[in-house]
Parts: sequence; C-alpha cells; structure tokens
Amino acid sequence: MSPLELIRLALSRLRRGRVRAALTMLGVVIGVASVVGLVSVGTGTTARITQQLSSLGTNLLTITPTGFSNGDTTLTLDDAKAIAEVPGLAGVAPEIQTQETVAASATNTTTTSVVGTSAAYAKVRAYDVWQGTFLTDVAVDRSLRVAVLGATTASNLGLGAEAVGTQIKIGGIPFTIAGILQPKGGAGFANPDDEVLIPVGAVQKYFVGGNGARSVGVSVADDADMTSVRNQISELLRVRHGIGASDTDDFSIFDQTQLLQAASTITGTLTLLLGGIASIALLVGGIGIMNIMLVSVRERTREIGIRMALGARRRDIQSQFLIEALTLSVIGGFVGVLFGLLISAGIGKLAGWGFIFDPGTIVVATVFSLAVGIVFGVWPARQAARLDPVVALRFE
Amino acid sequence: MSLLRLDHVGRRYDMGDIQVHALRDVSMAVEPGELVAIVGPSGSGKTTMMSIIGCLDRPTSGRYELDGKDVGSLGDGELARIRNRTIGFVFQSYNLLPSTSAIDNVATPLLYQGVGRRERLARAGAELERLGLGHRLTHEPTELSGGEQQRVALARALVTKPALLLADEPTGNLPVHQGLEVLKLFQSLNADGHTVLLITHNPEVAESAQRQIHVLDGQIVDQGIAA
Repeated sequence: MSPLELIRLALSRLRRGRVRAALTMLGVVIGVASVVGLVSVGTGTTARITQQLSSLGTNLLTITPTGFSNGDTTLTLDDAKAIAEVPGLAGVAPEIQTQETVAASATNTTTTSVVGTSAAYAKVRAYDVWQGTFLTDVAVDRSLRVAVLGATTASNLGLGAEAVGTQIKIGGIPFTIAGILQPKGGAGFANPDDEVLIPVGAVQKYFVGGNGARSVGVSVADDADMTSVRNQISELLRVRHGIGASDTDDFSIFDQTQLLQAASTITGTLTLLLGGIASIALLVGGIGIMNIMLVSVRERTREIGIRMALGARRRDIQSQFLIEALTLSVIGGFVGVLFGLLISAGIGKLAGWGFIFDPGTIVVATVFSLAVGIVFGVWPARQAARLDPVVALRFE
Repeated sequence: MSLLRLDHVGRRYDMGDIQVHALRDVSMAVEPGELVAIVGPSGSGKTTMMSIIGCLDRPTSGRYELDGKDVGSLGDGELARIRNRTIGFVFQSYNLLPSTSAIDNVATPLLYQGVGRRERLARAGAELERLGLGHRLTHEPTELSGGEQQRVALARALVTKPALLLADEPTGNLPVHQGLEVLKLFQSLNADGHTVLLITHNPEVAESAQRQIHVLDGQIVDQGIAA
C-alpha cells in the first residue's frame, strides 16, 4: 500500500474517533509546546544576559588589587598612568570609590557610591551621556568640582535635564553637575545607574586620601589583542611591584570575555535542562499514544482478521497501525509547535526580550514528535501484524 | 486439472500436553465450475477445512494444492496474495469492516492489490450495482439489513474475480426468505462459471449444491458424486 493510502485510512479512522484522537494528541501537544516554550525561555535568558554583560563594556580588562601595603591598596593611580603607556589600548580609567551623601537641597538627599575616575571611564564602561557632558580631561587634570550623575541617582534626586549646570553637595562640598548619563538598565545590588562620577583627584582631595585605586578599567582597541595586552599589563605590574618570578601577583586581571563565556555555558546548560524537563512531558505523551494504540489493536482484532482474509499482508497491517500512531504524533507535534510559539511570544513579551524565533527548535520538536510516533507506535503495530488470521476472525 | 486438491490433509492443534486432531487424513478435490457443499454438524472440522482451503491456515500434515500451487510450502506473504486474488470469502456474520461505507468495504481487497482509488471505487460501485445495491453505496453496515449486508459481502468477494468463492454458513444469520435469495444468487453465480464452495451444517442449504461432502469428527464420510 502506498503511504498516501495509509494516511488516508488513518485520517478517516481518526475522524471517526475525534474525541479519543484529540485527547491522545493532547499529551504530545503539551510535550512539544513545553519543549518549544521552555527552550525559547532559555534562549531569551541567554540573549538577555549576554546583552547585559556586554553593556558593562566591550573588550574590557578590569585590574583589581588583591592586597594592601602601607595602608593603601597594592594598585595605585601611578600604576594606572604606567598602564596607559601600553600599546593597543583605547582607554584607561582608574576608579576610587567612596560612599557619600549627595544633596540636591537641604531635604532632598540620597546616599550613593561616588566614583573618582578619568574621562576615559565613559568609553571603558560603555556609558552614554544623556544631558550635558561627561568628565573632560581638563576637569580631571585640574581635579575640578564637577559631577556626572547616573540615571537612577538623578531620578532619585528628582533632577532632570534642567539640572545640568546647577550645584549639588557631595558630602557637604558643592559640585557642579556637568551631565546626566543614559540608563543602562539593570537593577539590584550593583545598579550601574546609581552612582556619581567625579574627577579622581577630587576624591583624593576632598574625601579619601592616599594613592590606592579600587580598580583600573582598560578598554582594548582590538579584541584580537586581549591576551597580549593582558600579558603586557601583568608583566608591567609585576616589574613595578617588584614581584619575583616565583611569587604570586598582588593584583588580578579580569577579562570580560571570560565572564561572557562562563555565562553562556551556564545558560546553555540551563536551556538543556529546561528542554530535558519538557522532554519528559513528551515522553508521557508518547506513552499515551502507545496505550491508546494497544487498546485499539485489541478492539479491532476482528477488523484485522477481516483485512487479512481480504489479502492484507502482515506488512500492510503493521504499516496501517504505525501510520495511525504517526499521524497522531505528527498532528500533535504541529499543534504543539504552534502553542509553543504562542507561549514563547507571551513570555518574551512579559520578560521584555521580545519574540525569539529559533527554527532549530521547530526542527527538533518535529523530529522528536516523529520519533515518539515511531518508538511508541511500532510495538502496538507489531502486535496487530502478528495476529493469527483464524483467531482474529473468530474474535468477538 | 482440479481447482483444489487435498491429499491426506491433517490439522493438529497442540494444546499443552493434549493434541487435538481437528482434521484427519482428508482427501478431496473440487473441479472448476463446480458448486460443492461441505456439510457437517458443528465441531466436525468443517470450519478448519474452510480455514485451510481459504489459506488462512496451513495443514500440519498432507498436501494442499490450490490452482496448481502447493500451499503448505508458501510463506505468509504468498498466502495473503492468494487470499487476495484467488479466493473470495463470504462469512456467516458478513464480517464487513465497521464504520466503513458499503463501497469502501467492497473496494478493500483492491486496495491490497495496489489498485488506484478512482479505479477501485469504479469497480466496487459496478459490483454493488450488479447485486442490486446501487442505491446503498455510501451506507455503513449498521444502516443495512442482514440480506443487504450479505450482498455487500458477496460483492466484496466477487470484486477481485476470484477463481474460488468460499462461503461459510452464508445463510446462517438470515431469515428463511432472504437465505433462499442468497442461495439462488450463488446458483446463478455458479451458472455464470464461478466455482463455489459452501460450508454449512444445514442439510437444506446443502441440497442447493450439485455435490455434498459430508464431514464428521475431522474426517470425510461421504464425497458425493460429481454431477
């Protein structure tokens, strides 16, 4: 019998038992829909995390001290100046941090992180200015009392575009607002939008003494040079700090791309895990198909006997039942993919990463539902084909 | 040459330790164009004979030749092919496919021959037309009377133009007058050249045949005389 005839036979059979067919398909529909939906959640999370990480700055190396000497951290502003001489850099931004109360008026205050840095900070950390200007080289060189507000800090203080050029007090000392930053998005513990940036010299002069830096951010011009620049900086600092060949570093260099790779490994595993859990639903759906097909073979024993008497070969009977199971699983899979896409569109809208369409998921879901039909359809079909025609014809 | 020939055919069932001999040393032949009845009470082995003659089953001893072929040596696929092309079955309980229209029932043997859908339906429709069921093509078995169902079954048996028409108690489920009609139909088919084998426990039905083969206790007790 041709596949077309078998499909026609299967469809007319399923049309006669619509409710049963629909309920059997439902298992596959739920299985496939959850695979498609959950995998798209995984993909969306990955995209979101990657985007947030790259918003921290591209080609970024962050150098942090790992100890103290003479009451200061082991990384100094002089180190930052020396690092700036390394070839292949797009910018170097040292950071000194302190917590201060920032006041727009006597009653309108907020306590936030005040970071002393250089003009390169905007480039290194990938900030854009919304209003006014960023810290200028002149302001940094002269340690002027100018400040750039993060978007969250500005809104906490109720300051808008018109605030640029006005004065605020940081730890009681008046500063002029030079600019307000674009929000980066992100929230919680280390909100990149909740900070005030001032010239590094101003922090040393008014708030924290000493020469130690919290960190030095380095932006590398070409991402192919990441490793060589990293090695050069490492060598430079070891020489400057007088570290012997067998001693350990008193600083660490953190590579943004490593974090990206680690994150994508984690979210990849997460996606696999979600897909795996959803596959269990698909498995259960497949068992539902097998169950119904076994019942069907028993109910239709006499029909099988008649067909054999009329000249059906065992192969014909086996194909007929296998195609029936496949029809159930493939239609179920198709409907499941539609539902899965709806679910992922809905979740994408709620979570804010939009609709992520991955054709690979559809291919996988289709292959899976076909496989489910074959795996769980073969056994009942073989049962049907193995019947003895004489016994089957006598079956009541 | 005989259409079918049984030579010392036996059929034994092994049920655990017990062996049941449903058929013992049966020898008989049917010539082309004959109308033969196999008669016997229930349990006499006539249904086993029908299963073997109909190639639904194989003998455990002896030799069965149909249309010159030794059936005992053939595989399942070959037997299915013989059932499909050489034999037309008519059963006591009609055995129509449930929830399947009369025309699709009649077309089913052609489906297993690989005949295309259009030609299948044309031939099935013509066969039903010939048996006076042209107005019942799309009715399902539950919508047909017993006599109509048996005529659909007959159409299904005839649609492949088989060499042998094999009928197992074809009138058993029918009221007397409908039964007589079906028997007349078999006689007229025989007159048209069909070879017909009736299996029955009913002596009156057997009377309609040209020759009666009496079976008792798994053995032939009377071959009858060929007309």
